[in-house]
Amino acid sequence: MKIIRGKSKTWDLFIKSTLGKVGLGLLITFAIMAVLSPIWIARNPQIYDPLTGKDPNVFGSIPPTMAHPLGTDQLGRDLLSQLLKGSQIAFLVGISVGVFSTSIGTLIGLISGYYRGKIEIVLMRLTDIVMTLPLLPLLIVISGIFGRKDIRMIVLVLSLAGWTLAARVIRSQTLTLKERPYIESARVSGASNMRIIFKHIAPNILPLTFLYMTIGVTYAILTEAGLGFLGLSDPTISSWGMMLQWCFMSGYTFKALYWMIPPGLCISALALSFYLVGYAMEEIVNPRLRER
Amino acid sequence: MSLRRYTVMRFIQLLVTFFIVMTLIFILFRLMPGDPGVFLISPKMSEAAKETIREQFGLTKSIPEQYIFFIKNTLKGEFGDSFYYGRPVKDILFEKILNSIVLFTFGAILAYAIGMTIGKIIAWKRGSKTDTFFTMVGLGFWTFFPPWLGLILIWIFSYRLDLFPLGGMITPDVWAFNPTLSQKIIDFLHHLALPLMAYVLMWFAGSMLIMRNSMLETLREDYILTAKAKGLKDKVVRDKHAARNAMLPVVTSFSMSIAFSFGGGVLIETVFSWPGIGRTIVDVTLLQDYPLAQASFMVITLAVLIANFAADIVYAYLDPRVKY
Repeated sequence: MKIIRGKSKTWDLFIKSTLGKVGLGLLITFAIMAVLSPIWIARNPQIYDPLTGKDPNVFGSIPPTMAHPLGTDQLGRDLLSQLLKGSQIAFLVGISVGVFSTSIGTLIGLISGYYRGKIEIVLMRLTDIVMTLPLLPLLIVISGIFGRKDIRMIVLVLSLAGWTLAARVIRSQTLTLKERPYIESARVSGASNMRIIFKHIAPNILPLTFLYMTIGVTYAILTEAGLGFLGLSDPTISSWGMMLQWCFMSGYTFKALYWMIPPGLCISALALSFYLVGYAMEEIVNPRLRER
Repeated sequence: MSLRRYTVMRFIQLLVTFFIVMTLIFILFRLMPGDPGVFLISPKMSEAAKETIREQFGLTKSIPEQYIFFIKNTLKGEFGDSFYYGRPVKDILFEKILNSIVLFTFGAILAYAIGMTIGKIIAWKRGSKTDTFFTMVGLGFWTFFPPWLGLILIWIFSYRLDLFPLGGMITPDVWAFNPTLSQKIIDFLHHLALPLMAYVLMWFAGSMLIMRNSMLETLREDYILTAKAKGLKDKVVRDKHAARNAMLPVVTSFSMSIAFSFGGGVLIETVFSWPGIGRTIVDVTLLQDYPLAQASFMVITLAVLIANFAADIVYAYLDPRVKY
């Protein structure tokens, strides 16, 4: 049973929103960048590999040239390669954290909203506690403890900490949904709790889940980039945050704007694009925000 | 439930959370590879110093006993000696947290004042050019990568225009030669300006967008229609009737975003070399100064918990309908 608008109607409303279109456009641009990355590198990995490549004709960081459309870093590595590869990494981190954390949040929200009582109290207090953890400092300390910085561990910690907002909102939505008459009739006709939760309630909170996923992606991209900027992200991959850190640390920050501008711009723009998609979704999902 | 009872309950929750965080830190540091106690004993320490630390933290005892030692020491504020500074951690941290609180408090007040003012105005003029402009700008700043924002501000205002210092909190040369109080204050504010600007730009958008949404909901209430029908001036309806009620969700969002903002604060302090707790935790982690890193994290968590607690109590005071 579905009480939300159909998919095509939601899509029509979405595509009418300017902000949604801008967000989607940006997203597609970055997706193209991610796809182009291996093609650009494969032309000559010895020169264009984002981490190990080196142009033998280049000494120190150089501004854009024909061979290096965005210039190179202080080791003679191609900045365009790093930027394209960074797009892949950002999508990978952002979407995996978004999916994992929102799944946890949705499950916790559904269960605590549906069963109420002691389960709800325990889960919601847990949500309060996780919500107050300062995540970036925690990740900094964890990377210090284990020394070895691994992107999978970063994704894991971000997912285990980033589900709280979704859990809260989905719980309150579940509370109102479970009082609807159609849930009552499902129960009378003998549907099990699991069936009611996943067949009758879950589909109706799907748009909300999607909305909180976009927020989760935004926050994962910004946090991973923050770790990279501090020099605490995985050193075996070249992310946008690391690019900015190399620029900052090698003392080129203000001498080489061609190096300092692109990674920061990409981090902000990709985070923005996911946020815009979510923002446009919210105007549709939350009818109280629509103009009367 | 009375406000007093709510406060007590909320305080208990704060204690429980802090206890859980302490336990988490205890476990994490014991998972560290290397000798037991590697996180408290620096190879550079003298044998006598090592022995004192082992004694104080019960490192030769069993894990449950170590846990009790750890809790006791944490509650007393004993975190051992910093590997890098060679001084007790608590002496170093006090100054750092103070520097952070100054920046954070000024930043929060300014960001929320600006955000809420713009938010209520653009909600009142919904759909206008002003509304679209500020919504766009706000969304842009909301997802701005904080250190990059900092670097751009430094590039414009310090490097090109030479208006503000590149970083730090004071000019040592000025402070070395017996400056007057006003010289000290001017020097400090001069250094505060750019990191503060970064904080406000990073942060005002959140409160602005929430204020806007909350105002839009409030403006649909019947009492707003009544107020308008009575012939009250627009400004009175907007500020006295609508904005006051619309403020509540902004307070909630403040309490929920504190932890996240501290993360942004770490990045901003690093970019501007602000000698706060956020920059400290980064530096000491890179230096492998574990006692100081551990204590910095505890202090940051405690600060977040207290700020959160305060925001919740303010909320409960403002909105008597709140239930625990």
